[in-house]
Amino acid sequence: MGLKTSFSGVSLPPQKVSNPAIEDAPLPKRVVLPLGQNGNRVCKPVVEVGEQVKTGQLIGQSDDFLVAPVHSSISGTITAIRPWFDLSGNEMLSVIVESDGNDSWLEEIRTDEGFSDKESAQLLTDLKAAGVVEIGPPSMPLQAKFATPEPSKESRFLVGIPQTKPVDTVIINGIDAEPGMAAKGAVLTKYSSEIADGIRILQKLIGSAQMVLAVGSNGSVNSPLSGELAGLGVQVFRGKDKYPLGLNPILIKCVTGLEIPLPDGNEQDIGVAVVDAVTLLHLVEAVRDLKPQVEKVVSVSGAGITAVKNFRVRLGTLVQDLIEQQTGLKGEPVKVIAGGAMTGVALFSTDIPVTKDTAALIFQTATEAKSFSPDACINCGLCVRHCPSRLLPNELSKYCEFTMFEEARDKFLLHCIECGICAYVCPEKRPMLHLMRYGKRELSLA
Amino acid sequence: MEKAISLDKPMLRVSVAPHIQQKITTSHIMYDTLVALVPALLAGIFFFGFAALKLALICMATALACEAGMQKLMGRKLTVFNGSGLILGLLFALICSPETPWWVVMLGTAIAVILGREIYGGLGNNPFNAVLVGWAVARISWVDQMTTWVMPEPQFLLEAGGYIEDPPLSVLRWEGVDSLVDLPWLDLFIGNVPGTIGTVSVVAILIGGIYLLLRRRITWHIPVSFLASAWLFGLLFWLIDPEVYANPTIYLLSGWMFLGAFFLATDKGTVPVTGPGMIVFGIGCGLITMIIRYWGGFLDGVAFAVLLMNALTPLLDRLRPRVYGRVKQIA
Repeated sequence: MGLKTSFSGVSLPPQKVSNPAIEDAPLPKRVVLPLGQNGNRVCKPVVEVGEQVKTGQLIGQSDDFLVAPVHSSISGTITAIRPWFDLSGNEMLSVIVESDGNDSWLEEIRTDEGFSDKESAQLLTDLKAAGVVEIGPPSMPLQAKFATPEPSKESRFLVGIPQTKPVDTVIINGIDAEPGMAAKGAVLTKYSSEIADGIRILQKLIGSAQMVLAVGSNGSVNSPLSGELAGLGVQVFRGKDKYPLGLNPILIKCVTGLEIPLPDGNEQDIGVAVVDAVTLLHLVEAVRDLKPQVEKVVSVSGAGITAVKNFRVRLGTLVQDLIEQQTGLKGEPVKVIAGGAMTGVALFSTDIPVTKDTAALIFQTATEAKSFSPDACINCGLCVRHCPSRLLPNELSKYCEFTMFEEARDKFLLHCIECGICAYVCPEKRPMLHLMRYGKRELSLA
Repeated sequence: MEKAISLDKPMLRVSVAPHIQQKITTSHIMYDTLVALVPALLAGIFFFGFAALKLALICMATALACEAGMQKLMGRKLTVFNGSGLILGLLFALICSPETPWWVVMLGTAIAVILGREIYGGLGNNPFNAVLVGWAVARISWVDQMTTWVMPEPQFLLEAGGYIEDPPLSVLRWEGVDSLVDLPWLDLFIGNVPGTIGTVSVVAILIGGIYLLLRRRITWHIPVSFLASAWLFGLLFWLIDPEVYANPTIYLLSGWMFLGAFFLATDKGTVPVTGPGMIVFGIGCGLITMIIRYWGGFLDGVAFAVLLMNALTPLLDRLRPRVYGRVKQIA
């Protein structure tokens, strides 16, 4: 199965991946567990300061179906429940656990062979209880993707497109979209039985939906997995090496030929659900092994680590602790990026915890770190040529720079998928993506 | 609240995404364009001797000096080394007759840099092609100096063409269709005819243009639509009345057609950036060029065609493909 449509984009410099294996990161001495994923939707803590907790024990819960429950990722003592910074500098109520060094689990991890006989409602409940989160943007509990859509979307003025649709196509995104990310490829090569089990669970959850596994041009589906996939009726979509194929809006377009109706639609409107391959692994561990999500597979690269490594990191591990345990790091990193090299966020401090939304960490030394320039646009048109959304980023960035946000919205600013290609190709090194995000934020506040 | 994060650690650099950048800068684009113009300059030197080189050097030096002076005066960042000033100067020299006096090209280049580009805010912000603004002022102000032609004197191997003593377009205009029957097309193609320094040799410009296309500094849209529309328009009239209108290929190979299509009509900042916009821009340039050549007051319409289409650029940028995810809306 190949690309249904072509798209503009760029070929990014190829990256080396040291070893597709996923190593366990050392156990952290303390963890900081934020009680929510995004914005001000947070759980209520169900533990108190001073309480002993075990690994996998529930520490926060909410009635809101867009907030996943939070579990302790290590065993130890709760030393504080207080606000802590997230990666964009906002404060979020967090639970801090000091480790006792034992890592004793609440329940022994065992593989529940009977998972395939469970009802889909039971699977959904297990999934919700395990707190598995699909990485964003926007990050949300995984089961929210499959839930029956709420009827509150009727305010959208769409013609010809059903406003809410049950999911009929599930795309498993196994394409490592950006430099610095290698976890999906690793999961596909090393966890083929998990992927197959995950697809079985998804089929049970969503019923008759068509399943597509998308792999990059260098991503390999090994023979046991491809055999299983054929048995399960899963189609394999082979992409090409072109950014931003791994980003969901473009991937959906290339696999199904459908576009997400923007500005305020989402993939549910066209009956598609995209599941990250790494999230699928966490889903299998949650439902088959009944293990709450206390870990995240994170790719680490940069600053001496020329080939990307993959680690299983306990949630809440501070980036600083990871740096200290990282033997591969050479030189003092001056920039730490959470996420991929194209769309990631540069951290302002290394005291930020790894969350369920962290896909990669990139450490850059002074020579690797890039900067932007305030120079004027020269209208060369490179960004227009490469924009996968077919926007005019040159014009939009100027509107946003001079605070003409309404005009930018009329010129489809809200259709930007924030892939960052415009800023990547800009010969004047203008902060194009930043200007777009700035304009979007100002419009959302207006 | 007590701050969770201490700030006494070494500070991290915070910047916006993306965290990698393509190596290409404005200078790369400009110096590539300059390299692409070198064959045309060499052809000019080959056919017209070192007078051509002298004019080119005068123009480039003037352009750099004016650019630096204006940027200093306006308190802007000095960008004279990014190559755009050199391109402007060189292009100006290439569209002048080798006999043009030095003070005319100097004044023309100065007008191009100062009135054509810098007062609008520099590279990329000028609405009209700066080279052509300077040329238009010089052409209208000093008609005699700008339209003195010499026979080409090839430096070696070739004999001077000698079929015509004026540029082919002016011969066509004043002496009729039959006047060019004897002129070998090869002479037109390699540039063995009187004319401006850098526009006589189609093959040299083509080499530079193909280099730019291969390096992806320009796209095919404007050159192809410019040349194709001009040729097809000429073909139409040739088929209607070959007694009045010459073979369109002669029009294609003479004058500024190729330099216009590959270099003047692809000037960064003054042309549309969307695919459909560029195609309409090229078609407009081709048609207006041919209209001026057939019925206009000027012999070669390329300069005014490009300038006229420059004025439409903001409008042509409205021609764009459908944006991702756009659906029809009811009120």
